[in-house]
Amino acid sequence: MIPRAVLALACLAVAATGLAAPRPGTVGPPGKAAVDTCLDCHRSLDETRLSQPAEQAATDIHRLQGITCAGCHGGDPRAEDPEAAMNPALGFVGAIAPTAVPALCSSCHSDPSFMLRYAPNIPTDQAAQYATSRHGLALAKGDTRVATCTSCHGAHGVLPADDARSPVYPSRIVATCGRCHADAALMRAYGISGNEVADYQQSVHYAALTQKNDLSAPTCNDCHGSHGATPPGVSSVSNVCGTCHLTQRELFDLSPHKEAFASIEQPACETCHGNHAVHTPDDTWIGVGKDQVCGNCHVADDPGGQVAAQLAARLTGANSAIAATRERVARAERAGMLMDEALVQLEEAHQALVLARNQVHAAALAPLARETGSVLAAAAKADRLAQAAEDEIRFRRTGLAVSLVVILLAAVALLLKTRSLER
Amino acid sequence: MGIFKRLWAALDERLGLAPLVEFARHKEVPRHRYSWAYYFGGLTLFFLGVQVVTGILLLLYYRPTAEAAFESVQFIVTRVPFGWLVRSIHSWSANLMILSAFAHMFSVYLLGAYAKPRELTWWSGFALLLLAMGFGFSGYLLPWNELSFFATRIGTDIAGKTPLVGGWLLRFLRGGDDVTGATLTRFFGFHVALLPMITSALLALHLLLIQKQGMHVPEKLAPEAKSRPPIPFVPNFALREATVWLGGLALLAVLAAFFPWELGVKADPFAPAPAGIKPEWYFLFMFETLKLLPPHVLGIEGELVGLALFTFGGLVWFLVPLLDRGSERGKRSPLFLLLGWLVLAYLVSFTALSLAGVFQ
Amino acid sequence: MAANETEATVGRRTFINWLLGTSLGATLAAALYPMLRFVIPPEVGESPTNRVLAGKLSELPPNTGRVFRFGAKPGILLRTPSGEVRAFSAICTHLNCTVQYRPDFQHLWCACHNGHYDLQGKNIAGPPPRPLEAFKVDVVGDDIFVTKGA
Repeated sequence: MIPRAVLALACLAVAATGLAAPRPGTVGPPGKAAVDTCLDCHRSLDETRLSQPAEQAATDIHRLQGITCAGCHGGDPRAEDPEAAMNPALGFVGAIAPTAVPALCSSCHSDPSFMLRYAPNIPTDQAAQYATSRHGLALAKGDTRVATCTSCHGAHGVLPADDARSPVYPSRIVATCGRCHADAALMRAYGISGNEVADYQQSVHYAALTQKNDLSAPTCNDCHGSHGATPPGVSSVSNVCGTCHLTQRELFDLSPHKEAFASIEQPACETCHGNHAVHTPDDTWIGVGKDQVCGNCHVADDPGGQVAAQLAARLTGANSAIAATRERVARAERAGMLMDEALVQLEEAHQALVLARNQVHAAALAPLARETGSVLAAAAKADRLAQAAEDEIRFRRTGLAVSLVVILLAAVALLLKTRSLER
Repeated sequence: MGIFKRLWAALDERLGLAPLVEFARHKEVPRHRYSWAYYFGGLTLFFLGVQVVTGILLLLYYRPTAEAAFESVQFIVTRVPFGWLVRSIHSWSANLMILSAFAHMFSVYLLGAYAKPRELTWWSGFALLLLAMGFGFSGYLLPWNELSFFATRIGTDIAGKTPLVGGWLLRFLRGGDDVTGATLTRFFGFHVALLPMITSALLALHLLLIQKQGMHVPEKLAPEAKSRPPIPFVPNFALREATVWLGGLALLAVLAAFFPWELGVKADPFAPAPAGIKPEWYFLFMFETLKLLPPHVLGIEGELVGLALFTFGGLVWFLVPLLDRGSERGKRSPLFLLLGWLVLAYLVSFTALSLAGVFQ
Repeated sequence: MAANETEATVGRRTFINWLLGTSLGATLAAALYPMLRFVIPPEVGESPTNRVLAGKLSELPPNTGRVFRFGAKPGILLRTPSGEVRAFSAICTHLNCTVQYRPDFQHLWCACHNGHYDLQGKNIAGPPPRPLEAFKVDVVGDDIFVTKGA
């Protein structure tokens, strides 16, 4: 048994260093929910400000893992008497100042040996990253409007990041960041437009995330970082895009644009695709006309503009060949012809078109023309099969016409026979 | 030659077939200016025969489940040799059979052939027409394509509006609350087992009565028929009828060649109903009339009023041999003649207008 | 004269009978021939609904795959390095290209945008948003049957 005086001294020492580590007795063994007299009183308090934290704590990962209220707020979690429980001498702090939050959380979360016992699979470098982030740098200067740990993770009802209800779950991050970043008035002070969230919500990535439930689709933190949130540099975003869109990135790296964009400090992908509002790309984007991306740098007469026109022409040709053949094959199919082989060819044409679209990133005519050539070849094959099906329908018609003649001849013979009988 | 004669003698000895031959030899068809009306019944029978033959052929490959029905019909028309032809003929012949049956019925009605003693023939014929429409309705669903699926949903929905038994009838027809694979299995059963069985019995009765009672001569044409020699059934009338049948076959060939029956798109029960869903043409008059009725007539649901009117009209039509009292004495009421023409005009105009898209 | 006329009539009658016999025979042949052809089953003996013979076990060594077809839709049959046979829809969930088995990666791969799927059909890298649809595989003797939606 440790003498009381020693314990009290130790407590004071901890309080003096300012919430550096959880005091003994405020943190239980992992895997067992904390027992805590704070909750018993606070649940029944009338003031929401005081009762809500207790209610939210019901599902809080920290409480479920044995961390008492006192783990953060100090005081004695076993004392029945409020005075004793909230004794400032035992390090009790009521509301925790935003500027104190990172240090408080990191007192455990940056301690690998501590975290190893509770959640061995989560990293411990968040505080270090945070300190380098725009949020962290501003906070260090005393700006309390910026996000701290609790702004995103919540304070009392903290859920693990992989819990779908957590505000930092991939599908909910946009809304979480948007709480501040969609507020144009607030963002003006930082030179940010505030449209970014709305733009992102129109993007293919947001659609993939929310409609296809594709959690690997990028959301805010995938490009900006989560704890070390900063505006990404010109080259770093393209690296992010390239982790999924590897083929396009490899082709782009071979293209003349790589050097050219770098020399004028233009980002690789966003120059054409945009950053937040990444729409489904369309073949009509290629060209120097209005609303066409190449026109940002090229004019119709320069070599780039000419290549763009060629690329667009090839893709348009391939698109219309597929559309026309698809329609023709569908018509034959509705008429009851077996068009499986033609559908296989159409599929091949489609695949070649996808590959041709990849080649747009290389910005060279030859490789794209090779792919659109395959598109046209496969579409032509399907078209020939549709032609054969139409010929077959015509042939059947001819066959039936012949049998019609036979039938009519028999009818005439019958009429003649009847007449000869009745004469 | 000898062997056939011996075979015939042996059969005749055992079965007593000579009277049948004698009957056929003496069977005659009256000759007058409306003699052509006598061919429609035979033509309907021909199309029925085509239906039986092509139907049995289709049965070799068809599979009556929601998962496989469309694919099996697709298999028939794409992979089975001449499957496209058999299926196209079956579909077209069904329509021609109903058309010819309607022509038969109206010619019989307008010439007054329903009068005593031919009430039973009229009634069995009426029932046969309803059965033919039942064949059409049940067969339409079997390819399990989009059009047939939604047409069946609408058709069974209307049947479900019947007072008192509507709910039960709907569930009986659909085999559940909605049109599903259970409906398909059920309609298949109706189409290839239940309806053929009833039809065979009624058809036998219908034909037997005609043989028993001979051909009807309209009262006004009796002098003309007497003054002209009748047509011997064998071989003259038989040859003429055969010519008409060949005409029917030729028509089938033309239709199959120039208007091959389409396969359509597989039914998706969860897809929204495509615009302009219509039933088969012989239900159009009913379909369009029900659509034209106001939602409420005298506080009763419009569709119910329509159904009641159709039922009443059908009943009058059915009972016409009894209602037209003068007909048994050869004095048909001009009122019933007028009714016949009015009904014909109504059916033809509504069907034609609907096909022309006037009601859209 | 009378004899002549009779002769003409007889000739006419013979012609009519010949014409009638021939044309009716031809009509009958035109009707029966399609029917006879119809009852003989085609080579693909069964309407392909949701089961196909996708390949032979002997032609599918471990760590290989091959594309087969459900009608017009591609499926992929693969044999894992440990010898297990599996089948998936070969339609990439990103942009509908046809995936292939890459023996060097020992998993499925889509050439269009470098999408990777593991041997369970799960998307593991690249743009594909969803796993590939898995099919049921039955090996009967040397024949590999694949069933969709089972």
